[in-house]
Amino acid sequence: MRNLLIVIFTIFSFSTLGASEVSEWFEKESNQFLEIINNDEGTESENYEKYKYFVNKNFAIKSVAYGLIGENIINNSSENELSLYLDAFTDYLIKTIYKLANSSSSSTIILKDVDIKDNIYIIKSEISDKKSSASLYWKVVDIDSSYKIIDVIVENTSYFVTKKSEFNKILRKNKGNLEALIIEIGKI
Amino acid sequence: MKVILLIIFVTFLQTTPSYTDENISQTGISYDEIYDPIEPINRAVLSFNFFIDDVAIRPIVKTYKFIAPEPVEKGVSNFFSNLKEPIRTVSFIFQGEFYKSFNSIGRFTINTLTSLGTFDLASRVGMEKNETDFGITLAKGGVSSGPYIVIPIIGPSNLRDFSGDVIEYFVDPISNNVPNREYVAIGNGLSERIDLDEQLDKVRDSSSDRYEMIKSIYYQNRNAQLEEEYIQNLPVPKIYIE
Repeated sequence: MRNLLIVIFTIFSFSTLGASEVSEWFEKESNQFLEIINNDEGTESENYEKYKYFVNKNFAIKSVAYGLIGENIINNSSENELSLYLDAFTDYLIKTIYKLANSSSSSTIILKDVDIKDNIYIIKSEISDKKSSASLYWKVVDIDSSYKIIDVIVENTSYFVTKKSEFNKILRKNKGNLEALIIEIGKI
Repeated sequence: MKVILLIIFVTFLQTTPSYTDENISQTGISYDEIYDPIEPINRAVLSFNFFIDDVAIRPIVKTYKFIAPEPVEKGVSNFFSNLKEPIRTVSFIFQGEFYKSFNSIGRFTINTLTSLGTFDLASRVGMEKNETDFGITLAKGGVSSGPYIVIPIIGPSNLRDFSGDVIEYFVDPISNNVPNREYVAIGNGLSERIDLDEQLDKVRDSSSDRYEMIKSIYYQNRNAQLEEEYIQNLPVPKIYIE
């Protein structure tokens, strides 16, 4: 009985520790994100560089990129093609995040709750500015002892799910040709 | 004749799959392949809608947003949202959600009596707004979504949700008791378009295929209204070492 209690206590302590660590990480990174989106000064290219730094540091780019095209395409593509795709997708991710966030001003992000499911942290937050507020969920995983974002969900709209639909359509239209997808996402 | 049409319609709704079978996620919902048998027509209608929006609706919305002070904009949005509380009340009754039904009619009473619905006092006293409609009622009754359709001027929908809109048009206690219901419908449509203005601007230039993007966003939002643990159950990518 005592052992069972110790096991339960240990599991609970670890999960609480994980949640508090990820909360700390989130507070720090969301503040940095706010600094970027609230910054009205600086040229467009300077701001873009800041987004690039933020995305490269905090997103699980490879996981998201590969998740969007699926196992079949990955297995049927050469390493060179996959490397080109990864580069194109990184640029696409930065640009789309930049376009989605850049029109905001004087925003704040408040952490509401952290939940864990299947080793994925689901961080619930609220982003608001003078005009309105929106629910903002972040799905985060621990990869090699650093937290990485795998999805951002704004008012029930998931970045991963939306982009998967778009990418699937392009791939299906081009009979699974990864090069066609690279060209298409390069147009953004 | 009406009865026969109704039977055919309901049968079609019940037998038409919402999604094809591939890539079914944990919740049984596939976001990769939404049932869209009339895609070419839908794409044409969406292009038409964007054209009408560009030449007629968007300029009105932008001008309005430029002229109207923030409180006025919010007040108008609240006014039209408040007019929907009676139909939400009816929908919640059909869904068996009696608490939410009381909440909706309570909100309508408080907000109408205090500000004709322009100020959401009810939320301030803890009566939060719960969104629903007859499309959701049909879904909770087991009716599948049917094919995805884009309706001229109105926008994305599916056969079930569109049927819900048609039912609402005939049973809505408000629009059935105002002299010029078409003005209310136009006002409501414009108000919803104004509320969506920022999101629409983002859709215009952050997508490689805006048709797919709008379709996906539409289904995600509808599913969020239907599922308890929607966020938790959304598909996620397999993790690769970066």
